[in-house]
Amino acid sequence: MELLTPRKRFSFTGQGGDLFAVLIVNWLLTFITLGLYYPWAKARRLQYMYEHSELDSHPFHFHGTGKEMFKGFIKAVLLFVVIYAVFFGLLMTQELAAMIIGYLFFFVSFIGLIPLIIHGSYRYRMSRSSWRGIHFGYRGKLKELYAICIRDGLLTLITFGIYGAWFQMNLRNYVIGHIRFGNSQFEYKGDGLDFFLMNLKGYFLTLFTLGIYGFWWQRDIFNYYVNNLSWSFAEGRRIRFKSTATGGGFFELIVVNLLLVVFTFGIGLAWAHVRMMKFVLNNIELVGDADLDAIVQTELEHKSAMADELGDLLDVDIFL
Amino acid sequence: MNNSYPANLYDGLTSKPLDARVGLREPGSLEVEVNGERSYWPLEHAAMQWERTNTTLRITFGEHPRKVLITRDKLFIATFVKRMQYAGRRGVYDRTLSLARQGPAIFFLALVAVVVVGYIWVLPFTAERLALLLPLEVDERLGQAAYGSVTLGMDEDTARSAVLQRFGDRLDLSDRFELRFHYVTSDQVNAFAMPGGDIVVFSGILEGMEYPEQLAALLAHEATHVHERHSTRMMVRQMAGYLFLSLLIGDVNAVVGVLAENADNLRNMSYSRNLETDADARGIERLRAAGVDPQGMVKLLELLGSEAGDMPEELSFLSSHPLTEERIAKAKEAVGDGTLTDPVTGELAELFERLKAE
Repeated sequence: MELLTPRKRFSFTGQGGDLFAVLIVNWLLTFITLGLYYPWAKARRLQYMYEHSELDSHPFHFHGTGKEMFKGFIKAVLLFVVIYAVFFGLLMTQELAAMIIGYLFFFVSFIGLIPLIIHGSYRYRMSRSSWRGIHFGYRGKLKELYAICIRDGLLTLITFGIYGAWFQMNLRNYVIGHIRFGNSQFEYKGDGLDFFLMNLKGYFLTLFTLGIYGFWWQRDIFNYYVNNLSWSFAEGRRIRFKSTATGGGFFELIVVNLLLVVFTFGIGLAWAHVRMMKFVLNNIELVGDADLDAIVQTELEHKSAMADELGDLLDVDIFL
Repeated sequence: MNNSYPANLYDGLTSKPLDARVGLREPGSLEVEVNGERSYWPLEHAAMQWERTNTTLRITFGEHPRKVLITRDKLFIATFVKRMQYAGRRGVYDRTLSLARQGPAIFFLALVAVVVVGYIWVLPFTAERLALLLPLEVDERLGQAAYGSVTLGMDEDTARSAVLQRFGDRLDLSDRFELRFHYVTSDQVNAFAMPGGDIVVFSGILEGMEYPEQLAALLAHEATHVHERHSTRMMVRQMAGYLFLSLLIGDVNAVVGVLAENADNLRNMSYSRNLETDADARGIERLRAAGVDPQGMVKLLELLGSEAGDMPEELSFLSSHPLTEERIAKAKEAVGDGTLTDPVTGELAELFERLKAE
């Protein structure tokens, strides 16, 4: 039985030039198909990123296909069309009451869609991800997610955003807490107050140092995300994640990436992306004594990519 | 012949990687050996999938939970890929990708070339076709929707509008739209046309006019905007340009986005300059058709030139209205030096006098 030594790590093996080739082909095909190729392009990009992310020298894998995502994309587009049609239909009446209902409908539908997007995206993305042949899965309940979002959303509104920190942590605790990997599972223990104070400190110090502290604030957020994450196995065994990122590291990453992208008019995007992945994955350590060989397959397949595409159309980034 | 190579097998049941040996066996199967046990995976099977990166080959087989085989053996990867390509299972994508891998710089330049060609030739061509496919009703709807807000707070003189209407009707400027002329009291030396047929003339421009031919030329110019559906065409072009850009920017970064947007604005400006010269040229044809001396167009432009301060020549490419000098030169080229030889008489002259009367 191979025990995980305290320094098992993630790594990223992708290369800028290689990713660049994938991306330019994506751009070309998306362009000449007037955007219809987008889901396939996304699948190719994700496949590349997963395939070159390794844990313990074994690569992850993304099983999603362009076809699946295209179906989701079409459904998402149709839903958008319906929402816009109702909205403009009500505006066209030129009657005040109908117009107010139109605006309300419009905003409520978009805000109301967000929990659905999170739920569906996690379900799809996790189900289509695997490592060593074992699939991830998301077991959260849509109802419970809505309950959290409605309750915390209202609290955030009436506290003028302050409760947002608690909202974020509750959401993260719930969503990550329902991720399965075979018969093992993940857990996130974030605390609203800690998160709030950390961000408060980060905000003011960044302000006082004219932005310089921003890199250390970024490090604090990253550490908070990583250090509160754990992975539990059968028989109470557990692996904790530990961040080794430094503010200086973030400084170098962000500044160089910015220069890479700005001075090459976007051509350097692939290299910037690779640098970021390497930085993130190299700065997460796994500490614990669990046996990574003993995980048993449990998850079923979930093939609907609609929510994932909906999230893309709305431009919400929900994967953390 | 029966070579086999090292690989890792994930059996889809547990996360334990198994040491395996893998080899190709003809006809058409993959031999996978784990702990002395051999199984055969048919190559031409729907449940058989493979993907390769620069260093690894991943072969998946079966239904969920699939068996996954991963190998980093270069020789086997090369043999396997060649075998599968021979079987014709290599799509357009793989071919394009390997082109991009071999010469990323050339590929990138080719991509830029495609985009530029698309932008300069394909886009305007398609947009123009599309705009003309739209029913005339679209122009009327657009005009109606905008007319109220554009003319909000303007002081229309309905009595003089009626006179202007008779003047315009005599010229018979469009058989496509019903033109409605409006006389608005304002110092502005200007006039404008809305899609679908509403044409507004400010008293300021009329005051400077000496000849009925100038008014006829002005109406002919504005009527051309309406008749040729310039606003709709402009709108479709702008929308197409916007769509085109968002396709690009969706994947590229913000810097390119800003550059591209500005370039697009410049292009739209130069298009609107083209529309003005077009309205002059076709306006002249309309004057001829209506039996009015087309020298009126030269006279009108000279009036505009003397009234409005022009921008310096160096900036002319930025302007939405081409330099009046340039327009005058073009009009003179078409009709002569601007000497009215055959002044209008009768109703047009009389209506013009009524409009000019205090």
